[in-house]
Amino acid sequence: MSSIDLLPPLLIAAPILAATLPIALGLWFDRAGWSVAAATTSGLFVGAVALANAVYGGERITHELGGYPREYGIELVADEFSMLIVLLVTAVAAGVLAFTRRGGPRGNTFYTAYLLLVAGLLGISLTGDVFNLFVFLEISSIATYALVASGDGPEAAVAALKYLILGTVAASMYLIGVAFVFMATGTLNMVELAGAIPEANTTLIRAGIAFMIVGFAVKVAQWPLHTWQPSAYQRAPDGVTPLIAALVSTASAYAFGRIIVTVLGVEYLAGTPNVAPIVLTIGCVSVLAGTVLAVIQTEVKRMLAYSSVSQFGLVIAAYGVVIAGESETALIGAAIHLVGHGVLKAGIFLAAALVATSYGARTVDEYAGLAKRRPFVAGSMAVLLLALVGVPPGVGFVGKWYIAVGAVESQLWPVAAVIFLSTMLTLAYAARLLEKMYFTPSAPADASRPGPAATDGGTADTDAAAAIRGAGAADPVSIGMIAVVVVAAVVAVALGFAGGTIADLLEPFLTEVFN
Amino acid sequence: MVADIRPLAAVLVSAVAIVLIVASHRRPNLREGWSVLAALAKFAIVASMLPAVMDGTVFRWSLADSTGVEFLAGLDFALRADPLGIFFALLASFLWIFTSFYAAGYMRGLDEHSQTRFFASFAASLSAAVGIAFAANLVTIFVFYELLSLVTYPLVAHNEDSEARIAGRKYLTYTFFGGGVFLLAGTVMIYWLTSLVGEPTLAFEAGGMEALAAAAQAEPVYAQAAFFLLIAGFGVKAALMPLHSWLADAMVAPTPVSGLLHAVAVVKSGAFGIARVILEVYGPGLIYDLPLDVPGIGEIGLNIPVAIVAAFTLTAASIIAMRKDHLKRRLAYSTTAQLSYIVLGLSLLHPYTVVGALFHIPAHAFAKLTLFFCAGAIHVETHTDYISEMAGIGKRMPLTMAAFTIGAAGMAGLPPVAGFVSKFYMLIGSADVGGSYWLFAGALLLSAVLNVGYFWPVVYTAFFESEDSHDAKPLLEFPAGGLVQSYRTEADDVAADGGRPTDGEADAPAGDADATEPERAAAADDGDYEYAVDEYPSDADVPVGEQVSAVDHHGNHDDHLTGGPPADVWQRRSPFTESTWLMLAPIAVIATGAVVLGVGPDYAVFLELATRIAEEVFGMPFEELGTVPFDELMTEVNN
Repeated sequence: MSSIDLLPPLLIAAPILAATLPIALGLWFDRAGWSVAAATTSGLFVGAVALANAVYGGERITHELGGYPREYGIELVADEFSMLIVLLVTAVAAGVLAFTRRGGPRGNTFYTAYLLLVAGLLGISLTGDVFNLFVFLEISSIATYALVASGDGPEAAVAALKYLILGTVAASMYLIGVAFVFMATGTLNMVELAGAIPEANTTLIRAGIAFMIVGFAVKVAQWPLHTWQPSAYQRAPDGVTPLIAALVSTASAYAFGRIIVTVLGVEYLAGTPNVAPIVLTIGCVSVLAGTVLAVIQTEVKRMLAYSSVSQFGLVIAAYGVVIAGESETALIGAAIHLVGHGVLKAGIFLAAALVATSYGARTVDEYAGLAKRRPFVAGSMAVLLLALVGVPPGVGFVGKWYIAVGAVESQLWPVAAVIFLSTMLTLAYAARLLEKMYFTPSAPADASRPGPAATDGGTADTDAAAAIRGAGAADPVSIGMIAVVVVAAVVAVALGFAGGTIADLLEPFLTEVFN
Repeated sequence: MVADIRPLAAVLVSAVAIVLIVASHRRPNLREGWSVLAALAKFAIVASMLPAVMDGTVFRWSLADSTGVEFLAGLDFALRADPLGIFFALLASFLWIFTSFYAAGYMRGLDEHSQTRFFASFAASLSAAVGIAFAANLVTIFVFYELLSLVTYPLVAHNEDSEARIAGRKYLTYTFFGGGVFLLAGTVMIYWLTSLVGEPTLAFEAGGMEALAAAAQAEPVYAQAAFFLLIAGFGVKAALMPLHSWLADAMVAPTPVSGLLHAVAVVKSGAFGIARVILEVYGPGLIYDLPLDVPGIGEIGLNIPVAIVAAFTLTAASIIAMRKDHLKRRLAYSTTAQLSYIVLGLSLLHPYTVVGALFHIPAHAFAKLTLFFCAGAIHVETHTDYISEMAGIGKRMPLTMAAFTIGAAGMAGLPPVAGFVSKFYMLIGSADVGGSYWLFAGALLLSAVLNVGYFWPVVYTAFFESEDSHDAKPLLEFPAGGLVQSYRTEADDVAADGGRPTDGEADAPAGDADATEPERAAAADDGDYEYAVDEYPSDADVPVGEQVSAVDHHGNHDDHLTGGPPADVWQRRSPFTESTWLMLAPIAVIATGAVVLGVGPDYAVFLELATRIAEEVFGMPFEELGTVPFDELMTEVNN
């Protein structure tokens, strides 16, 4: 066993162990949390890069926990697909953490939840066991409930409760699905399952598939099961939303993809009646419904939350194409879009958090004239939004390209039409924000409408608050916070040129899965 | 194919200029200096490639070859300077030189806001336009096509009032529908079709992509669908009806934008894209051979529907133009019509019409840029935007209106202006094919008459009518023979209900200047002719709900407060004092260019390039092309 094999368990165990430190050290130091979290996430990122180096170098890295063989033990697997998500998780976790140093929220318990969430997400990405996947889904969910609930005001508690109920139901659904599959095959390991399922009792397996699809549809926030997600994103503290929005649903969507391609097998699912149409319908309907709902929102964070519904709709639709057309290209598209959307949403939500911190602006109307006051943030946000729309050479375009090629290759014309139209639909809400930021002079303060509570506790109207702050008080936004947003925008464009590279990296995995 | 960095350099030089422009935002002279410098550098780079390209060299730069980065699996991000690309790049970069002077004069003359953003976006637009010109495959052209939509949006929405925002929204919607939906869909379809017969490819090939020709035999229906998707995608920017209406609305942009971008770079990128699709993706042979089964008529070539749309657009747009009183809008509809000449010429597939269509790209560019520059100069100097207020303006702006006359003659295709040469080629080409193509030749001729119909009144009113006695405009709205009227006295009424700043309150939607248009007409006649522009004036579609605060004095917004002749009559000025040299010099140069192109097309490089492009596409010397019968030519080129 070489040392690199120890990295997968370390990536999961380290943040869990480190999660206890902020609380423990908090007994003596008030501000220990950030340092612990920063050290851990940077360590995780370095570890992830090292692991990725090995994996993309052609090694397949597995680790059997406790040395038990995978038939009855738990196996961790780092392959080409999972490493993409691991890199995304660690990078975004480090980036968001850099932002929270100044932007908040603060407090040692926050950093404990933060690290637990990261551990859960890494577990989801690396596990090779379907029951263990459930465990990590729960770890990350519970950490998320706590983080959402730490937002200001009663709305945050309600949002967390809603998420708690729906999220738990979804996880249970998945667990029931796992139980059915276990009944039919007698194993929980993904690789073992892949071999056993084609010979197993189809009724049990199909029941299991049905439960899993519903479970993941909730977790990934697909219409009409998305209802937990907008309020969770909106009510969570500003510094937390980027992390949740970028990673939580992404990891679930990745897990769903993993179940489809590795566990159940594309060929098996293609032979199962109705699976492909159902998955395709869920995805396409979510794309459409999500955008329509996004367009009618007035709150920026809520609008972006609905945007996530529609963007994950694209990913789920891509999975549908993978099943229906046995399309490798669509899977590449789904993987790239997962990563790309993660980076984009992290960046956009960070920018939104930054704007809320400095001006208390939370509605689309309040963004008027932002470009003049914060040119870098507005510029980065514009780049990120446009990348989300799918303007090349942003990363959003790359994902969309592969998904669309997959749909066309499989001759699924209605799906292809939805994918192409999604550009326009995304533009509908992105352009709204752009127009406000750049081409709407900031309106004189509207005194009749009470401004939302600014993070500094003031409830006075936002312009006045900004004016007062501009007059003398320290800017609550540090250069570092702006830099994180700018970096996200740069990464979004740089990844736009990585379409071919990522496809190459995924190639060995695809060959394995599709043959 | 010669690997060379110059295609990339030509694209990036103005992208670098953006940084410099933004960095020197506090020093206007330096900032405009960067614009001019970038324009000169861009032109120099493009021109430096010209001699070699004329000799048959193709310069190529590709991301994969130079950095090893693959843009998308199996696809390269590549630029290449071939005759067609250099044709468009040369035109855009040459005209940018003069436009950057003109823009400086225009923006300063009006004391516009956000000039840094304006010049930065302008430079970015030129980057994207040259990127479109040099794109070596469909996905690269798509990238730049989308970027072009994006960077011109700030220019359209420049005024930051509700009218500009609405125009900007419409602009984004149309262009992204064209680019992000139609063009992307078509590109993906081509990628898929070519993957059916081998390695997927999207690279342009003169005379059509071979892989596509093979695939089209296997999947004719999808090949046809992809063709129309691509044409629709590029057709949005080429303002083919029914996808044209963004163009007229985009005229709220400052005039240099309307001039260089919405008469040359942006709209021509659509026409240029169609040229790429017809000549280098499908190829005339494949288009001709892939018949479309129309019930009741039988099989027709794929080009016929495109030609019909183009012919319809050029006729209809000309008629609409006659009804527009706002000069820039009239020019916009004229652009719509003229772009359809290009599309029509290309879609007729005959080598002569193709050459005519290609030559029409510069011919129209020079003439239309002159017209827009004149409209802008009038706006800056007199704040007059409406033709009905221009009676006698020739006294005030003699040189401008003389240049306008030249441009108008070019539009109508009168010799010796450039427009004549291109129309001549298109006419003999379509006559050569004969048959139903006579109809298209007829449309071309009819449109020439209509062009005279909508440009002559402008020239006439400027030079031969006086402020106190002139025909009511637009002529089409009034009885045949014209309705003599004077706005010397009514002008005061107009000013009154056009909303002086003081009684802005009384006219509920006073912020929206255009809404007063019908009222003015009502004041000006006996009530028989209620509508000055349209029954439903598209000029006035700003919803009342969205109001701009009070009257803000920038951009076009104060036109009605100041438009028309001053209280007495137009001053008489000499050609040298009518405006700043920053605007007059470009007007004079471009108008001269239009004449030079018309007098000596053989000596100006564009015609030679156009014939070279046709030679490559059809695979034989241009002199022989005329002798081969059309049908034979089409089957020849297919092999």
